[in-house]
Amino acid sequence: MEIESSNIPMECESHEVEEPYSDHTKVVRPKSLEELIQELHKVFDSDKVNVDYVKRLMTLYISNRKDWKKYAKFDPHRYTRNLVDGGNGKFNLMVLCWGEANGSSIHSHANAHCFMKVLDGSVREELYDWPSEDSTETSMSPRQKNTYEKNSCAYISDEIGLHRVENPSHSDKAVTLHLYSPPFDECESFDQRTGHKNTVKVTFWSKFGKRTPYGVCATTKEARKNAENN
Amino acid sequence: MAAAGFSTLNMEYLRRQSESDTSSSESEFNGENAEDLSYSDLETLPDFLLLRSNELRALQLDHNEILCLPDTISSFRNLVTMDISANNMTILSPELVKLHNLKTFIARNNCFDTDSIPKDFGLMSSLEVLNLGGNNFKELPPQVTELEHLRCLYMGGNKIEVINSSIKSLTNLEVLYLGGNCLTEIPAEVGCLHKLTALVLCDNQIQSLPPTLIHLQQLRSLSLHNNQISTLPTAIVSLNIVELSLRNNPLVDKFVQDLVYNPPTLLELAGRCIKIDGLPYSSEELPRHLVQYLDSAHHCVNIKCKGVYFSSRVEQVKFVDFCGKYRLPLLQYLCSPSCSTVISPSPSYSSDSEPEEEDNTKERMRRVLLG
Repeated sequence: MEIESSNIPMECESHEVEEPYSDHTKVVRPKSLEELIQELHKVFDSDKVNVDYVKRLMTLYISNRKDWKKYAKFDPHRYTRNLVDGGNGKFNLMVLCWGEANGSSIHSHANAHCFMKVLDGSVREELYDWPSEDSTETSMSPRQKNTYEKNSCAYISDEIGLHRVENPSHSDKAVTLHLYSPPFDECESFDQRTGHKNTVKVTFWSKFGKRTPYGVCATTKEARKNAENN
Repeated sequence: MAAAGFSTLNMEYLRRQSESDTSSSESEFNGENAEDLSYSDLETLPDFLLLRSNELRALQLDHNEILCLPDTISSFRNLVTMDISANNMTILSPELVKLHNLKTFIARNNCFDTDSIPKDFGLMSSLEVLNLGGNNFKELPPQVTELEHLRCLYMGGNKIEVINSSIKSLTNLEVLYLGGNCLTEIPAEVGCLHKLTALVLCDNQIQSLPPTLIHLQQLRSLSLHNNQISTLPTAIVSLNIVELSLRNNPLVDKFVQDLVYNPPTLLELAGRCIKIDGLPYSSEELPRHLVQYLDSAHHCVNIKCKGVYFSSRVEQVKFVDFCGKYRLPLLQYLCSPSCSTVISPSPSYSSDSEPEEEDNTKERMRRVLLG
């Protein structure tokens, strides 16, 4: 077996020294969404996730409507989450469709890595710090606001903080591609005025291009707990 | 149990409504008789397109430089869906009106104002979805309010200052998008749009909402964020809204008792006695105008009070808890300053007097997308 020379001490002999998906300067542009997905499968097969590598990979894919049109299902009342790939359980890849002025609540990400690439239109992100653990009611104000244009890619994790994402346009829809690793179906949603949080379920509008209604809620109490936030 | 059955109906209705909105025009664009000429550096319709003029049902011309549609557009008689967004267009060709099958017309992000709209545009009775977002409209063109079959009207991102009461003619409207304009209020006639399921008013300068909103029993989403709203009409609690956005409004933090009270007239006092004591009256005994006056009495919103009022009333801001998350200030009218609701000192859950009826209506408020 060939071992490439490197500057690290020669402790390990029986496995490759260089990790394949760790150098973001070596990312090859995926020519289609399908290719991006295949590459993502390979990247997430190994146990380590190099955030820069994944971010670069997603950024380099040039959005082509023909690739994702079948996942772009809009709702007149709110944004939708449309599952594209289940990532062999290691990640979820989904397309979010934001009607004009649709936005999410302020939310966390269940200790997962979250990548968001803009496929169409543009989205605005407001970053928030976690509210303090004491029970005082303090309003939350954003520490930073970012706008992401088509093909750019953002990253967030609970370490970085919380955010709200919205489509700021009143005449354009927006479409974003999200990758979450590991997948999660619950997160926390925050009340901006008090800093109080609620655990909410996140659900899919469609899976693999097919509409999947969440289903009837047996009680309104259950319905209140459920929220389609990303 | 009844609540569970009701929510079943709501979710099913919501699902079917939202799917029918986008699916029909989408399916046209995906069909065989569709032509996608978007982002094609066009300045006019290419000749080859005219060869297909009879068969085309869907035509995408968005993101070009077609400053004016040629007269030949009228030969596309079977067009059902057309998108001319982002063409820097300033005027709409009157020939458009001849497209008797056009159901969906998207003309976002051009340079249109009321003068751009052909005077016969109101005759396009086939139109169901009209998107004029991102243009230069200062008001709703009167021709638009003549489109009786309109189901979805998008006028977001314009410069609209006033919505004319003639909006009440659009009785088939299900989606009304007015976000990103210069509105300070909306007319009470919006309450006539009984089929409305989505009402978008965000990013305006709206200070208050008309109580006629109570008639919008099909309303599922109400977008109010980024306005100047300090109170909401009590009616909102009895609607079946599933999505409500309220962030960035100067909603009052502390309880404020804002007493505005004009002492009642003798007529009003007499009227109140008659109504409260349930004295019978009829047009045989009283002049018609008095009968009408008595019929116009409003019940005091405090359920425990049997009071009524006519024009003299107390405006009070009452805080109602929504989903245990947030206390909304609701404007309500009481019959007199002595009719008050008792405030119990509980922290974030329901505070003010909680009549049973109100508990039920709050139960129906499923989720509030707050700031």
